[in-house]
Amino acid sequence: MVTLLIEYRYISLAITVSQEMFSEEELKKEIIRVMKVLYDRGLVSALGGNVSARNPGAKEFWITPSGVFKGNLQPDDLVKLDLEGNVLEGFLRPSVEWPFHAIIYKKRPDVNAVIHAHNPVATGLALAGIDIKPITIESVLTLRKVPIVPFAYPGTDELAELVGKHIEGVRALILQNHGVIAVGYNLVEAEAVVETLEEVALTQFVAIVASGGKELPLIPEESRELASRLYGLR
Amino acid sequence: MGEWYSYAGKVLRVDLSKEKFWEEELKEEDVVNFLGGVGLAAKIIFSEVDPRIDPFDPSNKLVFMTGALTGTMVPGANKVTVAAKSPLTLAWGEAHLGGFWGPELKRAGYDGIVFEGKASEPVYIVIRNREVSMESAEKLWGLSTSETERRIKEEIGNKDVRIASIGPAGERLVRIACIVSEERVAGRTGMGAVMGSKNLKAVAVKGEGSVKVKAPESLRRNISRLYPMIMSYPPSQILSAYGTNGEMLSFYEYGDVPLRNFTKSVWEGIKNIEGRIMVSKYLKEHKSCFACPIGCWKVVRVQEGEFQGVEGRAPEYETAASLGALLLNDNYESLIYLEKLCNELGVDVISAGVVIAWAMEAYEKGLITKEDTGGIELNWGDYKTIIRLVEMIGRREGFGKILGEGCHRASQIIGRGTEEFAMHVRGLEIPMHDPRAFKGMGLQYATSNRGACHLQGTFFRIEQGERVPDLKIFRRVYRFETKDKGWMVAVMQDWHQVIESLGLCKFVQIHPGHVAGFYSLATGIVKRVTDLQKDGERISNLVRVFNVLCGRGGDYDKLPERFLKQPLEEGGAKGQVVELDVMLKEYYSYRKWDSRGIPTREKLEELGILSLVERRISELGIELTLT
Repeated sequence: MVTLLIEYRYISLAITVSQEMFSEEELKKEIIRVMKVLYDRGLVSALGGNVSARNPGAKEFWITPSGVFKGNLQPDDLVKLDLEGNVLEGFLRPSVEWPFHAIIYKKRPDVNAVIHAHNPVATGLALAGIDIKPITIESVLTLRKVPIVPFAYPGTDELAELVGKHIEGVRALILQNHGVIAVGYNLVEAEAVVETLEEVALTQFVAIVASGGKELPLIPEESRELASRLYGLR
Repeated sequence: MGEWYSYAGKVLRVDLSKEKFWEEELKEEDVVNFLGGVGLAAKIIFSEVDPRIDPFDPSNKLVFMTGALTGTMVPGANKVTVAAKSPLTLAWGEAHLGGFWGPELKRAGYDGIVFEGKASEPVYIVIRNREVSMESAEKLWGLSTSETERRIKEEIGNKDVRIASIGPAGERLVRIACIVSEERVAGRTGMGAVMGSKNLKAVAVKGEGSVKVKAPESLRRNISRLYPMIMSYPPSQILSAYGTNGEMLSFYEYGDVPLRNFTKSVWEGIKNIEGRIMVSKYLKEHKSCFACPIGCWKVVRVQEGEFQGVEGRAPEYETAASLGALLLNDNYESLIYLEKLCNELGVDVISAGVVIAWAMEAYEKGLITKEDTGGIELNWGDYKTIIRLVEMIGRREGFGKILGEGCHRASQIIGRGTEEFAMHVRGLEIPMHDPRAFKGMGLQYATSNRGACHLQGTFFRIEQGERVPDLKIFRRVYRFETKDKGWMVAVMQDWHQVIESLGLCKFVQIHPGHVAGFYSLATGIVKRVTDLQKDGERISNLVRVFNVLCGRGGDYDKLPERFLKQPLEEGGAKGQVVELDVMLKEYYSYRKWDSRGIPTREKLEELGILSLVERRISELGIELTLT
């Protein structure tokens, strides 16, 4: 068991979690499983998107490779890095986005899994200047607030810094002109966040189109009061 | 080392004076520190060649060294480095040969060959699966390179043998002579002349072995999945469709294509010589070097007119620019002929174009006359004169004797102020990227170990907006700025030492992270990107010390004044000059070189070569104080 002190805005939460240690092989298999699910759902593409995970508290993580077809990865394709990006194991080039994965792990001891996907609808809404609204209970509870990170070139330290700046206190980010990031205690949680984000974005998109762009009814304030106060949802 | 993977594990030594051959085992320590290709060649030349010798002295060594990955399934792994003390620069010389010769040598059982001495009569060497013989080349002397290849195949009765040879230029010690194999060329720094000085006409190789790799299944699987990425690289698609000259118009828009000996950057004729013309009117066949998915090698044929029936490799960008744009020659068919002529004679196209440009400018200014040229008028754009001059260079005849010395020497021979516009660094003619359009290229030219080199860093790609996150080049740098160029050029130069040591073609874009993986899976020696970077830096510094010992150190880190003081008046680089000093200062500081441009003891120690350097300096009895 381990106790993490997490600061969300002005409120400190003491969360006690069970530190379930995966074997390295289990962790790698789980990354492959998640990548396959995301690929089959169209949230990562042949060359776009990456996933990483670590055991809680570890100073190293496994990440998917760069430049390799994402629909059919195998555990041996994964690359193990330390938090400075040094390759420790594996023979493929690590995802070019390793810098933002590493910065998330540095800044968020509560996070052990990071997914970067190319959610078409969530990314498209952001391009249209529309942010994710509290239109379903899932959007309130699962997504909370989803900031949009201004464009920075993929794979750069500039993008990593921006992600590091925006990731505190949130579970998901939308990267302008790029895709989304979802984080979680483990891969299942991050996977749930990334899928929920796309579901909510699609629902919102349908509502906007079907209503001809009218203002959408949101989940009533009293029903999201706790989340609103904690996470600053409006 | 137990069993070697990816390496053959043996180097062939040939003493041409004594007609003696012997094999030497590859040393594990050398492989770990210097990888292969240019790295191993550097180790051998640094340790064995007296930097004070005349490059045509028999004690100069001519090293052919395959890359660590040459001959494997890694895309573009086909290169062999040819290195010696250069007769053109009087310092470190190297050139790189693609095609099939390198992989064939490795299949024949050797990572490389080191030639020393001088044969008493012209000879060629035949290597068949580690069986070596020396044959008379008396009947081949004077023949063109393709005819030499044809005749050797006939003589030894094997049409599949791979041959690297010199043409008349190398035989006659033309200092800009190159080595040719099946139209692929080891072009720069006069390696063909070193070969000629040893009376060595050709090296014919036939190998029937295979290049074993440590983890064939993983390597194959990883490579096969990388093709979408490799072929997504925009220049690769252009190279595949139009050859290297497919980028000419793009370079032209930057003001990068030099015109009229680097004095102009706007010219109507450019549209007549760029790569699309080749595809629309002359293309006959696409060809590829060993293990290449791109196939930038185009074969063309002229169907009618003055050059009817001329067939061969399409003019590369460097040819079309140096013998075309630089001389204001927009006759594309003449460029097809010139490409072939240079390859047959064994003349480096870049150096040939630049030295002719120097002569034309001197003639225009009245600094040389018909008395110097033997009655030939030198007028810009006159393709017939250009052809005549190339022939004279290749055969070392008349005015060609002076031109074949390269523009630096030629300008010293003629004098009369022509030195001012002899466009070279360290004696090596400037390639076809104007550094006023890409300022980091200016620094690259000024500091590259073999002299003005466009390939040791290909920094124009970074200045076109390419980032290399694997090497921590994250920021998009702009071509006219100087900030950060010092360290970035050094990083790219070192990485290119790695590429050249592994035998990879620079036109096949493989990210450093993947290169490290491929090296590890192929050789069984695990190296990460940072390890390889350190190896590249070690090689850069060792060659730098060799240059210093040749008397070609920091004083030679210069550019022609034209780039520093004479801005272009129009075009994509209008008004620009190269601010070399500021970039050079940052470069030295990053490299931990002293103010003389000599690597410091601290740097050499960090790279693990201080004792090697100190021992060699002491053996040579050269006075050099390391700080």
